[in-house]
Amino acid sequence: MKGLVSTGWKGPVKFRMPTAENLVPIRLDIQFEGQRYKDAFTWNPSDPDNEVVVFAKRTVKDLKLPSAFITQIAQSIQSQLSDFRAYEGQDMYTGEKIIPIKLDLRVNHTLIKDQFLWDLNNFESDPEEFARTLCKDLGVEDPEVGPAVAFAIREQLYEIAIQSVASARESRLSKKGRRGSDHGSASKASGLSMDLMKLFSFKSSVVRKRKDLDVYEPVVDLLTSEEVDALEARAERHAR
Amino acid sequence: MAMKAPDSGGSGEILPITPSLSETTSGVAAALQSPQPPSSSSDIDTIYVPSYSRWFSWTDINDCEVRSLPEFFDSRSSSKNPKFYLYLRNSIIKQYRDDHPRKISFTDVRRTLVSDVVSIRRVFDFLDSWGLINYTSSASAKPLKWDEKEAGKSAGDAASEPSTTVKETAKRICNGCKSICSIACFACDKYDLTLCARCYVRSNYRVGINSSEFKRVEISEESKIQWSEKEILLLLEAVMHYGDDWKKVAPHVTGRTEKDCVSQFVKLPFGEQFVKESDFEDGLEAFDQIKGSAIPESEGIDKDGFSPNKRMKLTPLADASNPIMAQAAFLSALAGTKVAEAAARAAVTALSDVDEADKNASGDPNRQETNAAPSGETTRNDSERAWADAKSLIEKEEQEVEVAIKETVEVEMKKIRDRIVHFEKLDLEMERSRKQLEEMKNLLFVDQLNIFFHTRKARTSEDRVEC
Repeated sequence: MKGLVSTGWKGPVKFRMPTAENLVPIRLDIQFEGQRYKDAFTWNPSDPDNEVVVFAKRTVKDLKLPSAFITQIAQSIQSQLSDFRAYEGQDMYTGEKIIPIKLDLRVNHTLIKDQFLWDLNNFESDPEEFARTLCKDLGVEDPEVGPAVAFAIREQLYEIAIQSVASARESRLSKKGRRGSDHGSASKASGLSMDLMKLFSFKSSVVRKRKDLDVYEPVVDLLTSEEVDALEARAERHAR
Repeated sequence: MAMKAPDSGGSGEILPITPSLSETTSGVAAALQSPQPPSSSSDIDTIYVPSYSRWFSWTDINDCEVRSLPEFFDSRSSSKNPKFYLYLRNSIIKQYRDDHPRKISFTDVRRTLVSDVVSIRRVFDFLDSWGLINYTSSASAKPLKWDEKEAGKSAGDAASEPSTTVKETAKRICNGCKSICSIACFACDKYDLTLCARCYVRSNYRVGINSSEFKRVEISEESKIQWSEKEILLLLEAVMHYGDDWKKVAPHVTGRTEKDCVSQFVKLPFGEQFVKESDFEDGLEAFDQIKGSAIPESEGIDKDGFSPNKRMKLTPLADASNPIMAQAAFLSALAGTKVAEAAARAAVTALSDVDEADKNASGDPNRQETNAAPSGETTRNDSERAWADAKSLIEKEEQEVEVAIKETVEVEMKKIRDRIVHFEKLDLEMERSRKQLEEMKNLLFVDQLNIFFHTRKARTSEDRVEC
């Protein structure tokens, strides 16, 4: 047999965001009496719960929304937080997963498209740092782009963490002896992860193939107001 | 320099700064030579910063910031570090100054900063309460907002200072002759009039008001320094009920402003502060016994002030139910160790003087001898007194040192214990991983065997077919 290919199987880890700061992405989309409030930000789940109401009140006051929004906002945040906390007790497998993260967002007049690889196993990773550097390097002037980028990254990481919890649960349920190999096949089946060995083995080089170059390049577009309006109108139509 | 909010009206000196987009400006008071940025306000706005925030500089972090926002400085998480704090703080202030004089709201800020929103809110509130953002020079009208964690008294104090000055100046100006009423005045609540004695006698008031509607209010009594027993009783009751909320205590003690209540409360002998559930009379009896314990308590303040390494070492006293102790702990943390040290030393010497007087009065044998012949022995008295002073000071020092040593030893032991637990955990982990590795090896071996048997079987069946 060939030598033992170590997959570096780590034991199951308690669920958490695979980043240095265990922050939860929170998305709000509340409609009430004809007014619509959409927002997205990150929250630290270890903050005390009274902060939720404080934040809701502050936001409503600053944006001059009707005060009925306070309870709705607080409820929405609380339910997303408790969803997150429900996952927290469970195990997740991380394995050697490098996943591509895609950005495709429009913030005010700026459009960003990008794709890059992210190491899921690196629990010291920092999407906020990445977002700040990205905006600085690309010369993005609108300061609202940074938080949106960080949020998008976190959302995708959150999704993947949830999936790995689900797969860990499955593999435990189908409790045949081959836990290690099963897990490997499960993660490959998800289609997202890439085998580190394949990427960095002797045969392939670290330099990216030419056909992938366009995909992995960041693109920043500044839209004019008409284009922004057109995009928004199209989004509304889709929503309905 | 005062580290907390202005303590004399709302009129601390204010320093003007000309706005600049450059991040490397140093010190708030420096006159900036950079040209007016074209995108900001067209005329020259000066941005005012209150004098108690004079410490602010773009590149440095001041002690009070470290104390108020410890989450960024205790290296608990790698990304919440001082550099990150600088980024948050400088971006918020820059954003405010770019759009000055429009007030900046928390939501504006958190939309543009890459971080979790609660940290942003804390930094924002901190800057707001120190007047580094959203500060208008007519801020005396608006009471300063403080974090809920900070003790109520200082908030009450700070908030009431600007308003009490307003109140005090509005006190007792006669509606009739527009002079300040001195000795006594007559107030009519129905029509909200105040008349000095002279105007009242001369009937210098509006037509239609009866002289009987006026109530006599003694000013001299009000501003009298002496507090009657009844008032002290009311004050203590109110403090027991409302704790640190001086706004509620003041009306309970009729006729005294918040400031008076607070100053009187602080002046009360310590023993009375320990009376919680028991009666006022019982408290007075217990007063003498408890006074002895007042000394070690003040040493507690000493220790609090002395502790140099841990910041915000409030825990020993901050959650004591005793409002005075909590207040002392908070103030000492806020003011910094050196200031608290000096204050505590002064307090201890003052108390020891009082103590000395007591001891001397209660019949120390040496003193009695010298008292017997007072006239020719003044020098002996002095040296006796000095000797007694020194002795008590030495005793106190010894006690302090003992307690400090005990605490240090306890902390060291705790550290060692924690380390042991940690190592045990690591050991367990190692064991677990080793076991898992063993299992995997076994599984692999089983798989290999299976494959071998399969191939063997396949080969023998092939052979058989061929034959």
